[in-house]
Amino acid sequence: MSNGFESRPDAAPRRTVWSNWRDALRTARQGRVDHALMGYLFILPALALYLTFSGYPLIRGLLIAFSDYRYLIPDHQPFNGIANFVEMAGDPLFWESFGRSLYYTVIYTPLNIGLGLLIAVLISKVLRPFEAAVYRVIAYLPVVLPIAVALLLWRQLLHPQFGYLNYFLSEWIGIANPPAWLADKEWVIPTLAVAAVWKQVGQNILLFLVGLYNINNELYEAASIDGANGWAQFSQITLPLLKPTFTVILVLAAGIIGTAEESLIMFGRTSAGPENAAMLVGRYAYDIAFYLGDMRWGYAAAMNLTMGVISMLMAGVIFKLLRSERAD
Amino acid sequence: MSVTSTSPYITKPRTGTTIGRLWAQRNDLFLRLVLWLFLAAFLLPFIWTISASLKTRQELYVELPSLITLNPTTANYAYVWRRMPDFFMQFRNSFLVTSGAVILQVAVTAVAGYAFARLRFPGRDLIFYTMILLTFVPRAGGLMAQYELMSFLHLRNSQLGLILAFAAGVPIPIFIMRQTFINLPSAFEDAALIDGCNRFQAFWRVMLPMATGGMLVVGLFEFIRVWGEYLFTLTMIDNPDLYTLGIGIAMSFVGLALEDGEFTSYGAEAAVYLLTSAPVLILFIVFQRMFIRGMLEGLKL
Repeated sequence: MSNGFESRPDAAPRRTVWSNWRDALRTARQGRVDHALMGYLFILPALALYLTFSGYPLIRGLLIAFSDYRYLIPDHQPFNGIANFVEMAGDPLFWESFGRSLYYTVIYTPLNIGLGLLIAVLISKVLRPFEAAVYRVIAYLPVVLPIAVALLLWRQLLHPQFGYLNYFLSEWIGIANPPAWLADKEWVIPTLAVAAVWKQVGQNILLFLVGLYNINNELYEAASIDGANGWAQFSQITLPLLKPTFTVILVLAAGIIGTAEESLIMFGRTSAGPENAAMLVGRYAYDIAFYLGDMRWGYAAAMNLTMGVISMLMAGVIFKLLRSERAD
Repeated sequence: MSVTSTSPYITKPRTGTTIGRLWAQRNDLFLRLVLWLFLAAFLLPFIWTISASLKTRQELYVELPSLITLNPTTANYAYVWRRMPDFFMQFRNSFLVTSGAVILQVAVTAVAGYAFARLRFPGRDLIFYTMILLTFVPRAGGLMAQYELMSFLHLRNSQLGLILAFAAGVPIPIFIMRQTFINLPSAFEDAALIDGCNRFQAFWRVMLPMATGGMLVVGLFEFIRVWGEYLFTLTMIDNPDLYTLGIGIAMSFVGLALEDGEFTSYGAEAAVYLLTSAPVLILFIVFQRMFIRGMLEGLKL
């Protein structure tokens, strides 16, 4: 393949983060030791930074979810068990925002993965290295944009009266009454999701491309000699061999259901769109934690934890489905 | 047919005429047609923003706005230069925080990556894989806990606080640096040790200069991440003098109610977006191959 990437023979069995960790635990007390002091000194700065600003907040954050922590009330952080989760179950605003987040995720995730795979496959068919590099750069451009720029840029384009998109739809395509996008409560969530896909899909394109470039071309040659055509090759060779890529992409996509940034950027601190139509669950939790009442951190953390667990479960289920499909 | 070929294609394309040649390449042409439809969707917002930033007011508000302007003007950039002093302050803040975080993170992860790859000490792999494993645990209440911690350390409303917190996202960068050092041939290091270097000199004089590729990958990803970061900065910074660009532009352009159809000057807005994105876009285009390499490392995770 002349893309400038060498095919890597997939000899070693795939290891998971989990199995690596278990091996490390088992062998922690064995093995040759040299330069122990230097080793600890070398990892010390990184480890200190990590433990202070990342590791500690991780554990502390989990604890907060099980307390009635109100930041603005001094020394008010009593442990309250699962009371936050019980309250959440009876909170209509939570369920509304959760529904919006599900809707958002159901649009965002398939588009993000499907389009990513489709465009990656198309680019992988381009054999001239320079041309392929140009396509990769174009596809990845939105990913490097600051998220505020990307979303505000779309906000301009989508402006109901002055935005370029509606001008294009009405004058060129001839749609008489194009939607008002972000100003229309029915359209807010799909619009936000599509803008977010535009921003992020390049990441998946590049990840899929790396996976595709790594598939040994001889497999396809052997398959076409055996009479397997395009679709059969794709489903029997390409998809199964992209499994590690799918894993990474699912892990990266898992956080999406708890996202808070989009509506904060598009509508500012004081608004969540027309009739709160952009009040996703992440935004709701953020508002509770930092803008509303006496900053109910316990309740907000419980919501975040719930979303985190749900997204992990969803990624896990999709991953299992992908695997079982390949088994037969 | 006189052509004897081992090619699996049964029909030979008629190559004499232009049409024949195009017919022979019909799959290629179709592929590019579909591809460019998608790529246009990526590019059009950029093209539109560039042209909007170069247009005069009159050109922007005509009945039929064009995608390309024939009389580019720098008036919008001049407006940003003269009327938006905050923009340059925010640009400076962003640059300070981003470069601080990049330098700190590259430094600590290069050193740690070497230790995890080349030195042997008890608990080495356990520490490393625990960090990697924890990146997969959901961050419930992480932002609140960080807020509490930063307040306690007097690092809220502080650029130093932002730098430390951003640099602290070390697990994946350490993974990349460790991988970089593992892939370097150990012969160089052994030779240096035989020639009388101690272990630190071997690292500093021999191994580190060979690991610049990995350091560049780590630095680039960190630069782009921090330059574009929004939520953490919004939460930790209340002082408008310390706003970074992401916060600043969202504050200055979103105050208007979208529903009412209120409007700022498109041109100046577009110019601000482009100036804000320029550093990351330039870095990305110059070093685009490094990003592919970063992706490759990510897939090994």
